[in-house]
Amino acid sequence: MSQGQRWKTRPLEFWAKAKELRADWQKSIEKQDKVVGQGNTGFADWSAAFPAITVIEDNPAGAMISHKNPPFARKSRLACEIRGWGREICGYHNNCWGGQFLGCQDDGTPFPYRRFVVPFPCVCDSHGKRGQQCRDFEAMPQWMADQCIYFGPRDARRDEPMLEHKTWCQLKVVNDIERIFGQPLDEEEYIRQLDTVSVVRAYAQEISVLMAQTIPTPLSVKDLYSVYTIGGLTKVNPDDTIAFWKLVRDEVKWRADNQIAAVGNERFRWIEAHPPSWHMLKYYRYLEKFGAVCLGSQYSHMMSGGLQRREDGTISGNWELEPKGTAPYPADTPLATREDIVRYSFGPDARYPYTFKIDEYLYPDKIVEFAGMMQADGALLGLWRCGVGCTMTRKEQAMRLRDAGYQVLLYEGSQPGDRTDLDEKQFFDRLDGWMESLGLERLED
Amino acid sequence: MDQFKQLVENRHAYAQSWKARTGGKVLGWYEPYFPEELAYAAGILPVRLLARHEPDDRSEKWMYAACYPARDILNQFLKGRYDYLDGMVTVEGCQWMYHAFESTLRSRPEFWNHYLFLPDYTDAPTSKTVLRSELQVFQEKLEAWTGRTVTDADLDWAIEVYNKNRLLLRQIYELRRAQEPVILGSEMMHLILADQVMDKAEMNEILERFLEELEQRTPHRDCIRLMLIGSETSDAALEEMAESLGANVVVDELDTGSSYFWNNVLPQKDRLMALALRYLGRPHNPIKDNNWRRRPQHIFELYEDFSADGVIIAKQIYCHLHGTDNYAVWKLLRERNIPYLFFERDTTLPEEETRLRLESFLTVVRQGATHVCGWHKTLA
Repeated sequence: MSQGQRWKTRPLEFWAKAKELRADWQKSIEKQDKVVGQGNTGFADWSAAFPAITVIEDNPAGAMISHKNPPFARKSRLACEIRGWGREICGYHNNCWGGQFLGCQDDGTPFPYRRFVVPFPCVCDSHGKRGQQCRDFEAMPQWMADQCIYFGPRDARRDEPMLEHKTWCQLKVVNDIERIFGQPLDEEEYIRQLDTVSVVRAYAQEISVLMAQTIPTPLSVKDLYSVYTIGGLTKVNPDDTIAFWKLVRDEVKWRADNQIAAVGNERFRWIEAHPPSWHMLKYYRYLEKFGAVCLGSQYSHMMSGGLQRREDGTISGNWELEPKGTAPYPADTPLATREDIVRYSFGPDARYPYTFKIDEYLYPDKIVEFAGMMQADGALLGLWRCGVGCTMTRKEQAMRLRDAGYQVLLYEGSQPGDRTDLDEKQFFDRLDGWMESLGLERLED
Repeated sequence: MDQFKQLVENRHAYAQSWKARTGGKVLGWYEPYFPEELAYAAGILPVRLLARHEPDDRSEKWMYAACYPARDILNQFLKGRYDYLDGMVTVEGCQWMYHAFESTLRSRPEFWNHYLFLPDYTDAPTSKTVLRSELQVFQEKLEAWTGRTVTDADLDWAIEVYNKNRLLLRQIYELRRAQEPVILGSEMMHLILADQVMDKAEMNEILERFLEELEQRTPHRDCIRLMLIGSETSDAALEEMAESLGANVVVDELDTGSSYFWNNVLPQKDRLMALALRYLGRPHNPIKDNNWRRRPQHIFELYEDFSADGVIIAKQIYCHLHGTDNYAVWKLLRERNIPYLFFERDTTLPEEETRLRLESFLTVVRQGATHVCGWHKTLA
């Protein structure tokens, strides 16, 4: 056992399967034998119903480029800036769309030019505008997957026209794709994908709850990030997806039951807000040397649909608690028509799927509740100069956490996908200072 | 100092005196898509929240890397400059403005407030139904707040006052098309800004008198004609600088400029639907210019109609919307050989740097100046 180790730990067994599924997904998009579209893959469940269509998204691509190939990321951002993009535009987008202007991806292969685009507005201004530039770049079909939002508790009267609007937008997307690209929508496959999402979300929720409730946590967010896109951003075979998430849930549950820790010397639990700096993930391991383990953020647990505390103190998914919740329709809802499927996919709350965003933007206090559920001791919050959606209300969240007694450290950078402004040396000095100020000595080197 | 500049600078005093005079409520609004007519019909004075050029000494505690108008509006709230407001309202739009709205509420929870959703996809057949529903919700909330029922007659009156106001603004604005215009860009910008913080019925009287006054004015001499586009602004510093260098901003495409009044409400029996259609159909700013991309073409049409010689693109730093939209705008300007000067601005306009860049741009434009109306000449 290493210095300060308090709990048993062991490597995660689902790693091998996770790597295999990610490799399958990578191969599927590299084949380029499909019509490639730009959209929000996490919520584009309809795309699974078009076997010859692939929807890809700039966010994960941009994040990966920032991690794998900083010189290319820099070149891409410059290619965008000289064409008019602002210096403060999200790194994900600049990293990805720079490749469009340069004609290649970071590995030198041809850029996967899109043949249609479905912008996904609202919530983050950069997200709202992204993708639109595909059609500014060259003529192509564009549809809008408009999103709706409002303050306060559920209001069925406001929901009704908003759901009509979202349904119209969604039907327009799939009907036009059928017409333009000559590909029939496989409605059974659409339903199957929605069912898959529902099953995976239930597993993911169990995992989130186990992380929150168990000391030591059986899984850190660093582990979670290596799998959390599977079935969502990186869509693979639905049966494989469900089997994989069951595998993860079973292993995490077993670890929780047997006190197998993610970090053997866990003695300080911390949370963050929104995504990490994808280009520099080593700070997770760095803090683990102090016995500090990251439980994630409201963002990283969005695959569970968000969490909240029941009156009896236990934790549940957000949708479970009406009227605030985003409860989906019952699983046995009759789905006779395509329109039924689309409506079912949205559920009765017009604000879905922005549960975690609503918490962050409209209710900044929710981060305090989240910290409590995660049994956190502190929070490390990033302030991103180039990420409007990644930075909004962050300072307020810091104030609220501080007022609630949590130890908070802020740091500055450009954006989770842009390393330009992040001073790594200063950042790690700050982490040292933070830990030392809390009386936590480094346990190992 | 011109009368409109004074009105802008004294806007807080004006709103407070209006309140004392009428006993009505004053409502601050953040986003250009706010349907003022509804509030006005309820006997409320809607005032646009405008930034000032002041050091940002309070808002940093609440915000990080937000655009200066959002930071400064919050700053003013925190300093108590807007203490006379009774409420505030924002519309789905720019996130920084939403942040200012939300943080203000955190620091001043006593303010009456409302968040009105307006679809980012303005062109869908269902968009108008969504907005109409949101207007209905807002109207009912206003009625509960003021204790006054908003009747069709109230709405008709408010729509008429606002339409008349837009007509008067447009009449004055159109005078800028002249080769030797009677009104300079700085005065026009002050006029439009003043319009957004005043009671429209009172402003209409001022505008009618001003139109008569303009008829007697000696025109300004012809000079380099510029167009101003970019993020919203709350002053005319840039127009004044251009004038000091022998140029004139003759047209703009700003949320705080021409886009504010460009289209009217077309009256119909369903008043709320009429309002919804007006706001969904106005010249769009980048966040709402999504599906059909009207903005670049609108910019080009204004440029041609007002015979401009070049374009200034002044973007607020941290304005993500213009930061993304500029790609399409630059592309259009380059394709059509329209000279443009792009720069970023922040809390204050860096005087000497901006002057130098503008001077250099004007030198380039002057050498090849061609008014788009078809004739060539050498400009002084």
